[in-house]
Amino acid sequence: MLLAVLITNSEGNILVERFNGVPGEERLHWRSFLVKLGADNLKGVKNEELCVASHKSVYIVYTVLGHVSIYLVGKDEYDELALSEAIFVVTSAIKDVCGKPPTERLFLDKYGRICLCLDEIVWKGLLENTDKDRIKRLVRLKPPTEF
Amino acid sequence: MAQFVKKDDDRDEEAEYSPFLGIEKGAVLQDARVFNDPQLDSRRCSQVITKLLYLLNQGETFTKVEATEVFFAVTKLFQSKDIGLRRMVYLIIKELSPSSDEVIIVTSSLMKDMNSKTDVYRANAIRVLCRITDGTLLTQIERYLKQAIVDKNPVVASAALVSGIHLLQTNPEIVKRWSNEVQEAVQSRAALVQFHALALLHQIRQNDRLAVSKLVTSLTRGTVRSPLAQCLLIRYASQVIRESSMNNQSGDRPFYDYLEGCLRHKAEMVIFEAARAITELNGVTSRELTPAITVLQLFLSSSKPVLRFAAVRTLNKVAMTHPMAVTNCNIDMESLISDQNRSIATLAITSLLKTGNESGVDRLMKQITNFMSDIADEFKIVVVDAIRSLCLKFPLKYRSLMNFLSNILREEGGFEYKKAIVDSIVILIRDIPDAKESGLLHLCEFIEDCEFTYLSTQILHFLGVEGPKTSDPSKYIRYIYNRVILENATVRASAVSTLAKFGAMVDSLKPRIFILLRRCLYDNDDEVRDRATLYLNTLGGDGSVVETEKDVKDFLFGSLDIPLVNLETSLKNYEPTEEHFDISSVPKEVKSQPLAEKKSAGKKPTALGAPPAAPTSTVDAYEKLLSSIPEFSTFGQLFKSSAPVELTEAETEYAVNVVKHIFDKHVVFQYNCTNTIPEQLLENVVVVVDASEAEEFAEVATKPLKALPYDTPGQTFVAFEKPEGVPAVGRFSNVLKFIVKEVDPSTGEAEEDGVEDEYQLEDSEIVAADYMLKVGVSNFRNAWESLGPDFERIDEYGLGPRESLSEAVNAVVNLLGMQPCEGTEVVAANSRSHSCLLSGVYIGNVKVLVRLSFGVDSSKEVAMKLAVRSEDESVSDAIHEIVAN
Repeated sequence: MLLAVLITNSEGNILVERFNGVPGEERLHWRSFLVKLGADNLKGVKNEELCVASHKSVYIVYTVLGHVSIYLVGKDEYDELALSEAIFVVTSAIKDVCGKPPTERLFLDKYGRICLCLDEIVWKGLLENTDKDRIKRLVRLKPPTEF
Repeated sequence: MAQFVKKDDDRDEEAEYSPFLGIEKGAVLQDARVFNDPQLDSRRCSQVITKLLYLLNQGETFTKVEATEVFFAVTKLFQSKDIGLRRMVYLIIKELSPSSDEVIIVTSSLMKDMNSKTDVYRANAIRVLCRITDGTLLTQIERYLKQAIVDKNPVVASAALVSGIHLLQTNPEIVKRWSNEVQEAVQSRAALVQFHALALLHQIRQNDRLAVSKLVTSLTRGTVRSPLAQCLLIRYASQVIRESSMNNQSGDRPFYDYLEGCLRHKAEMVIFEAARAITELNGVTSRELTPAITVLQLFLSSSKPVLRFAAVRTLNKVAMTHPMAVTNCNIDMESLISDQNRSIATLAITSLLKTGNESGVDRLMKQITNFMSDIADEFKIVVVDAIRSLCLKFPLKYRSLMNFLSNILREEGGFEYKKAIVDSIVILIRDIPDAKESGLLHLCEFIEDCEFTYLSTQILHFLGVEGPKTSDPSKYIRYIYNRVILENATVRASAVSTLAKFGAMVDSLKPRIFILLRRCLYDNDDEVRDRATLYLNTLGGDGSVVETEKDVKDFLFGSLDIPLVNLETSLKNYEPTEEHFDISSVPKEVKSQPLAEKKSAGKKPTALGAPPAAPTSTVDAYEKLLSSIPEFSTFGQLFKSSAPVELTEAETEYAVNVVKHIFDKHVVFQYNCTNTIPEQLLENVVVVVDASEAEEFAEVATKPLKALPYDTPGQTFVAFEKPEGVPAVGRFSNVLKFIVKEVDPSTGEAEEDGVEDEYQLEDSEIVAADYMLKVGVSNFRNAWESLGPDFERIDEYGLGPRESLSEAVNAVVNLLGMQPCEGTEVVAANSRSHSCLLSGVYIGNVKVLVRLSFGVDSSKEVAMKLAVRSEDESVSDAIHEIVAN
């Protein structure tokens, strides 16, 4: 299960937070844990360079893209490698929507479209689509090209 | 003038301005009214939905009324033909997750979309419907979903399959009906459809071992397009291997070739998954391990941190079970100590600590020292634990390891971290005699500047026990007395006790200790003063008559020997009168805790092969208790004490359980009795045992219980003699006999005269398992080989028809009373055969190992092959006799 997708600005303020199968009372804990993890480790990290950690039986893969930080949390089959695959899809979709690694402003300007992309990529904790071109078409309700 | 403003500033302002600046739920809900406009402005509506999404993604919640209002408004947007808006509508409906009574309003629109000619409408409608649907609606749309699963458009198929995975949790019966379609989708040419279909199909069939095995067999031969699906397949294959390996005696592991083939896959994800699966195989051989370790070693030097992390994490696990297999990677792991990612560095270090050899320890410690300063406490604790194990492995290296621990003890750190270090030093002092003096001094220096009261008192206690036994005990006094001067009351009180222990043990120090203790008489804390007075009195420092040296030492060093709970209850019940509180009146019997026992029994088996923690404390307590009873003191070494067996039903007037104590020539029944009637006092309580169904046993002693007041447990004992070394069995019937006296509940006083009465108890039994101690082995195969075939006895038995294989296995395990090893007591569901490994120590301290192979036929007849190896021929035969009878 892909437990969480969290996107923050560089100060650690939440831009997008989507949890799956995480009880309400644990979400705040996860949020602050992830933000602290990012604050400790994301300084000086290049765009899309992946950082990885595990906490109990849960894996976390996170990275920086422009001025936003992206965190994915998973367990069981969504281990560090599956998460790195998923985060690659997320970053490329965001870059695609924004045209470049986004500033916070640009990210918020494209907020609606980014939400749609995330909706195509992760649905209730399962990875649904992984191809950025297909995602790009799907959010416009266009059928995939290869079909 | 605005146009002359510099461009840079302009950009800064733009960057700071957020489109959601000052966003407020109330205002957005107001805005949502545009959804009701007769002339829909799609762009504006999309913007409002985005704002709603932003609020929801920030963790904002809507009240029921708000959500309903927005939801109804959103449904109006189905009228719009704007596809961008339609996509947003799908998303917001999912996010709002309307309640079941509201869903009805969109179902018709969604059903229409689900049958739309536009594929992506269909995909989205399926996802939304499945998100908001309940069972009844699901049966209506099931037909469409089944079609969608095999739709030629991969987006539609995936949407239906992923929905199926979610719906399986809530409506399993319905989704299970789709397995033909899902089966078809597994063969899809679209990579992701195959991935989703495989996941769903496995979930549908996960309880059918044969079906999973078939699925894995067919797919490992066919083509799997996506690396993600390949990873799933590897997981499923290793599940099949796990469940079948025990049935395969030939040594060939099914699917191993497939796993090994995956090591050459082009996707790193697949390579890693296969490597990890191989390392986790039950009883993996080094030949099987080698190729997996090789690819993991390559990953260690990958430029991708995720791969390095995954590899080092897996190798770290392998290092626990097969340290030799990992040594080849040590050079690569050493370079990871400086890895930017601290998780990777910590894993590398702990792996190295597990696999390193003695000569490399110093070099390793040097590298770790640099590393420790910049990791968090939780990582440091892991490192400290690993260093402790390393030191126990190479005791000759204690000097550098102990120095390392004392150095890090001086640095900054939280309580848990410091406690881990102190615990480690204490363990090393206990286990490595040479390390004692230096270790104690390190601890002394630590308490000079320790901010944690708990740790200071723990160390002071430990110093009191170990310090007096060293070559120069006087050097510790300074550190201890400093605590009396500088610390808080709790620590001061501990320091006083420690001083007293030195005084009691070291005669040459006694006069000086007295001086120090006398100074404590003026302490401003009661407890400190009381302790000082008490110890001065006990040791004779106040000129009083000194108790014998043995009494003093017993008092200072002996354990309290009374369960604290009982002491607490007795103290609470004690009413201050002329009569002093008598500590010997406190019952020593530990109340049985059925709840706690049940909990621990329900625990999952610990790590593979790990022997269960021996209940040392209970055994010790029993041993002490029995040896304190003169009648039983000649029985020799206690071999085993059983768990308490209840002899009464729950909630009866008198609760009685029995603990069976097994000696070489004797058996003692300890009856733990509790009187649950407040109006009664029982006196002269005994259990009269009829051993006519236990021919080999002869009663030799009885120890009655004088009084059994309400709710204070007490014990009575009956001892039997039996032939030496013979595992005699038998059944005993028990009757509780006593004199009952009425008690006036208001005064608590009992009447003078009592009436004789008796109470029938359940029978107790001595069975073969009572002569067996559950003692695990860490590596069964090695233990089996080292026992050798000299006294091996093999035979086959028919166990008759059984409810299930699992039930048969449990019955034999319980009959023998041995410790199952390596998790082999767990029988895979629907399995037709099973092997179980048992280990134990038989009476007379003879080590015994057992291999059981079970098979079950279609009529549920279970056959068993029993192979026993032990250190004694007669014991191997005895085990067979137990089963044969």
